[in-house]
Amino acid sequence: MAQSRIGMAPASRGARKGLRLAAREERMAWLLLLPSVLLLLTVALFPLGRVFYSSFTDARFAAAGSQEVNFVGMRNYRELLSFTLRELPYQVDADGVRRYDHPRLFLRRLDTSMSYDEVVTFDLFGTRYVLGAVRPEFVRSVIDTVIFTVVTVSLETILGMIVALALAAKFFGRNAMRTAMLVPWAIITVVSARIWEWMFRSNRSGFFNSLLDRLGWGDGNTGFLTEPALQLPSIIAIDVWKTTPFMALLLLAGLSVIPKELYEAAEVDGASPIRRFFTITLPLVSPTLAVALVFRTLDALRVFDLFQVVFGERRFSMASFAQYTLVANRDVGLSSAASVVIFLIIFIFAIIYIRALKVDSGD
Amino acid sequence: MKRWFFAAALVLGGAAVAQQDVTITWMGGSNAPAQQFAAASAQRYMDANPHTINGTEYNVTIEFVAGPESTTDRLSLYLQYFEAQSPEVDLMNIDVIWPGDLAAHLVDLYQYEGFEEAVEAHFPAIVENNTVDGELVGIPLFTDAGLLYYRSDLLEEYGYDGPPSTWDELEEMARTIQEGEREGGNQDFWGFVWQGNAYEGLTCDALEWVASHGGGTIISPDGVITINNERAIAAIERAAGWVGSISPEGVTGFLEEDARGVWQAGNAAFMRNWPYAYVPGQDEASPIRGKFGVAPLPAGEGGSPAATLGGWQLAVNAYSDNPAVAADVALHLTSYEEQVRRAIEVSNLPTIEAVYEDPELLNSEVAWFADLLPVFQNAVARPSTVTAPQYGETSRIFFTAVHDVLTGQEDAGTALAILELDLMELHPDFEVGTPE
Repeated sequence: MAQSRIGMAPASRGARKGLRLAAREERMAWLLLLPSVLLLLTVALFPLGRVFYSSFTDARFAAAGSQEVNFVGMRNYRELLSFTLRELPYQVDADGVRRYDHPRLFLRRLDTSMSYDEVVTFDLFGTRYVLGAVRPEFVRSVIDTVIFTVVTVSLETILGMIVALALAAKFFGRNAMRTAMLVPWAIITVVSARIWEWMFRSNRSGFFNSLLDRLGWGDGNTGFLTEPALQLPSIIAIDVWKTTPFMALLLLAGLSVIPKELYEAAEVDGASPIRRFFTITLPLVSPTLAVALVFRTLDALRVFDLFQVVFGERRFSMASFAQYTLVANRDVGLSSAASVVIFLIIFIFAIIYIRALKVDSGD
Repeated sequence: MKRWFFAAALVLGGAAVAQQDVTITWMGGSNAPAQQFAAASAQRYMDANPHTINGTEYNVTIEFVAGPESTTDRLSLYLQYFEAQSPEVDLMNIDVIWPGDLAAHLVDLYQYEGFEEAVEAHFPAIVENNTVDGELVGIPLFTDAGLLYYRSDLLEEYGYDGPPSTWDELEEMARTIQEGEREGGNQDFWGFVWQGNAYEGLTCDALEWVASHGGGTIISPDGVITINNERAIAAIERAAGWVGSISPEGVTGFLEEDARGVWQAGNAAFMRNWPYAYVPGQDEASPIRGKFGVAPLPAGEGGSPAATLGGWQLAVNAYSDNPAVAADVALHLTSYEEQVRRAIEVSNLPTIEAVYEDPELLNSEVAWFADLLPVFQNAVARPSTVTAPQYGETSRIFFTAVHDVLTGQEDAGTALAILELDLMELHPDFEVGTPE
């Protein structure tokens, strides 16, 4: 007993001493971290807070103090997020054919405090409905950006994996190929967007129109960037061309750490290449794949430069809508509210995504 | 430091009057000829140093900075300077549609000597466009107006005496020449190219169609929304009919340079564009060199020809440290002598009426400027002053509505009815009416 007490004493004294040391070290750590924390607060949280604050005001960009700033509560958010779903009225004409009201004129004639414009008109169970929003451009920008993100990231992942697998194999000129592969990624987006804009030209001076014309498809006047149905596919093609190399590079790094012995063993056991891919490659590359996916998805949701260069004010991504509202429209309040909504969308996306892919599970 | 050494040197050297050294930063256009001309023009001012301004002698250095090429980008950059109340740029080139929007950040030039007299020589419409609440916020540097370019060789070949004076004539000539040229084997030939993309340029083109049909100017200068009228509907309906018939389908994605590309390759009978396209068209390497002419745009039924007013002005930043000196530089850069040189060297249209009669100009390659003087004089202004600070949004809903008609998503009647409602919402104080 006594012995054990004697034996305990130095240990607990040591533990206390260790605790004090730990506390001291922790204090020290905090002191050392303080500048970074302060810096982070000023450069990240302060602007974020300001955006949040101005989203409740009617502030105008570069107003020179000529206009006072009023607090308008949720008005900007109501403007962005108000929807109305209405049945579209119709008259039956002499031939018994339904003559529907014009959806945009119908929405504008509604006796509401908000003025709605058409997002989409659709038929359901023999009735025609119109979905209206106060800012249909914003709703469209969200839909377009999400479609853009899902399609580009999927294609980039699949193509990136194929490229990475090809470049992981040993062959003559592999290093040259790896370098060449990175060229699209190395070109500044603004430049590559402009190059593609030229290739997508709507007459035979454009590469694709001249190609299609040679092949006998189309009339050589396809408006890839002006026809609404072709706009998203075109811009997706540009992004896939540009970003696949980046995806391939990340995956190549993941592939290179897989031990060769596993493949040798599998080969000896008679596993087919496809089997080897799904049982060895994919599981072992999946942590890298998950990081790459999160990286690319969040990046794609924030896309700005590509839309800005290719479409300007014809079609918006979420970010280019916010920029347009801020500068061209000079509406700080609405732009801030849009930025907050975009922030929340990306934030929710990130959380769901990271959970689903188990990126943060620690192992 | 340098400044002190210089001052000390002056004192030690026994100079009678100490001059003040000032550097004026000027932000202007970024294309190579514009930059070269700006540098030469600035040098002429610096060679005349020192300048006496408000009783003080200044030794002025002008530093030219090329701004972003796109006017939209330039505007965002300026707005960012203004938001930060930055004195970084003293003198800035501003687009003809900006004075109303930017007036709060620009110096009233009337407070400086020489401007009252100077502006009297300029076209009144352009001066009026630069006048906001009685203040002169910019002095015209050069102007722009929409023009009709025509292939004189093809008109002759197909038996026409000269360029069309009405849209009906243009359509007829364009169709005939297009059919003939295609039968002759040129499948890429089109009758008429213009700017149909959804951007500010479409506002300019569509304003010309509407105004030339007597359909008004979207919003009148005294704040009446006039766009929803029969003549405007007819004008835009007519333009929509060109798409795919005498104009390529892709014209709804064309900017100025796209139209010029088709035209200069010899693949169009007519083109609507700004005067800048003249010089490259007459270039040694141009296939249409010497084969084309320039005329006023055609008129519609019940209207007279209309050209949209474009152009650039010089403005002094209200946050500048040396506004008086910057204003004096602006006076030099926009002077008669400089405008003559500018017209001849970079084919920018002068804003001083008398320059069009200058013998030096009349003996140069751009002598045709003089023939089109009435066009420039009567150019139609976009409703940028009356709608400030919401011209950007006003223009966007206008060109979006027109673009919807051009691409066949909406008929002109409905599009303009919706446009009227949107304009009423954007400008609750404005009345609704008909033109004139």
